[in-house]
Amino acid sequence: MRPRAPVGDDGPAAGGAAPWVFLAPLLIFAFVFFVLPLGFSVWLSFTRWNPLGTPSWVGLRQFEYLLTRDDAFWRTILNTFVFAFGFVAIGVPLALVLAFAFSRAKGKAIWRQVYYLPQLTNIVAIAYLWQFVLDDRDGLINRGLAAIGLRGPDWLTDPTMAMISVVLVMIWYDAGKNMLIFSAALEAVDQEIYDAATLDGAGAWRTLRSVTLPIIRPAFTFATITSFITGMGFFSLILAMTGGGPRGATEVTALYTYRMAFEDLRMGRASAGALILFVIIGLLSLLQFRALRERAR
Amino acid sequence: MTVSDPVVAGETAEIAANRRLLSGGTLRRQAGGVLKYVLLTLGAGLMILPFADMFIGALRGPADVYANPPRYLPAEPQWGVYARVFAELPMGRWFANSVIVTFLITAAQVATSVTAGYALAKYEFRGRAAIFRLVVGAQMFPFFLFIIPIFFILRFVPLMGGNDIAGQGGSGLLGTYAALCLPFLVTWYGVFLMRQFFLAIPDDLMEAARLDGANEYRIFRSIMLPLVKPAIATLTLFSFVYHWNEFIWTMTVTRSAPELQTLPVGIYLLSGAFESLDQKSLQQAALAVSILPVIVVFLALQRLFVASDFASGVK
Repeated sequence: MRPRAPVGDDGPAAGGAAPWVFLAPLLIFAFVFFVLPLGFSVWLSFTRWNPLGTPSWVGLRQFEYLLTRDDAFWRTILNTFVFAFGFVAIGVPLALVLAFAFSRAKGKAIWRQVYYLPQLTNIVAIAYLWQFVLDDRDGLINRGLAAIGLRGPDWLTDPTMAMISVVLVMIWYDAGKNMLIFSAALEAVDQEIYDAATLDGAGAWRTLRSVTLPIIRPAFTFATITSFITGMGFFSLILAMTGGGPRGATEVTALYTYRMAFEDLRMGRASAGALILFVIIGLLSLLQFRALRERAR
Repeated sequence: MTVSDPVVAGETAEIAANRRLLSGGTLRRQAGGVLKYVLLTLGAGLMILPFADMFIGALRGPADVYANPPRYLPAEPQWGVYARVFAELPMGRWFANSVIVTFLITAAQVATSVTAGYALAKYEFRGRAAIFRLVVGAQMFPFFLFIIPIFFILRFVPLMGGNDIAGQGGSGLLGTYAALCLPFLVTWYGVFLMRQFFLAIPDDLMEAARLDGANEYRIFRSIMLPLVKPAIATLTLFSFVYHWNEFIWTMTVTRSAPELQTLPVGIYLLSGAFESLDQKSLQQAALAVSILPVIVVFLALQRLFVASDFASGVK
């Protein structure tokens, strides 16, 4: 036999320097735009820095201020939770229901395209389109309600309604993405499994519970956790739609820290705030992952 | 399905019982089917409603908005509004910037994803597992964490944009196309997607080509790359959509550089100019222009697009 290049257990063979050449862009990028910014961010959070001057080391003072003295910070954390939980709790099950409905519907490709439409649209347009539709006086919805003699709510100017509005728009915007994830998972289920369940006398509900749901559970876990992470850090919609108002009612932490950095020029405190939010997201994602995996057993 | 199958000799009593059970529920199921389509149609209407509202609103003229009560449907559709957005707003500039930035980023993301995904799937080397963990793990880091540090990393690039060797004194790469593109040259998700696709391709192809004396780069270019074209199409489409629509980062670095603004950023930062009632139609027309290219490209490319590719991150 001819000598061959050494082959590993699971197949891939060594190719000398080639893999490193192929990976070079990724490695450079990972250093400059991942490792370096994370390190910089952590370092900044221990400083006070207005970018016109030089950073001065203040230790844990920024964290201490945000966590113990800044009421606005805690209010934004609460808003972030309301926004993310509302979005996940309604949005993910809704996407699952849609995927189910499409999976046996006629013309499913067209249904999917229609429900995917918002995902193709830039977030500024999403925000402004809904501003027009929800406008207190001239919006389509309140005009419609007025036509049947009802007085519509102040969708964007009432503090409670404004939060409900941005959550609903977020659900509307994101439904198509999770729907695709669930559709793909449902399509991977073999029709024969359904036929077998039917032959065994399982009704529709029982088939759903005992066959379909266990098979798509990984997709459900994936969609829940990624949506949660998205929801906790998402602020572009709110920035363009309500600007965090009215009276801070929709100001989420990511938006709060963004403004702290680029409007108030407090880079150290903003970095600390972003890190706190990141740690909260990380811990909660881990908990969710554990919980969803436990239930699978 | 099974209900309509021809009767098979020797059918068990159990199956026959099931069949009776199923036909008993037929009426209810039909009613449920109709209800499903009614609900799906209502939902579809809700998906389209804001877009329809925008197209109608763009066509309203001053005569409609100042009428008492204001008219929802324009009495005379003002089609000229689409010419006006290009004449009265820097739409051409925004549009060109959107095209340039989206094209550069998409091309770079496809190139870096294909090469890195290939290396992670098809070679065995020290550190492969660690790099793969980085690719998976990095996807978990939300973007808001990077805005401040990357902004200043670009600001302090030595010897660029008037900076001295220590990165002080000038504006670095801020205010250049590089600032818009560099932070997006690699997409962790894209690398992951490409790796999954290359894993599915048998190693024998590489081995055979090696025995024929082909070098590693030729194997990649001539043999492996053509085999993942569908995945490349999917990634291209996703990168295009994402970066045509990208807002926060571009807004952050072009706030004071109007000549670099893209469509969403330009429309957002100019929103103060649309306060007056008869300017709303201009804003709605501008939004329509920002949305349409994506929908056209998506519909043109969607036959290449496989939903299951997108969801392959699930497994």
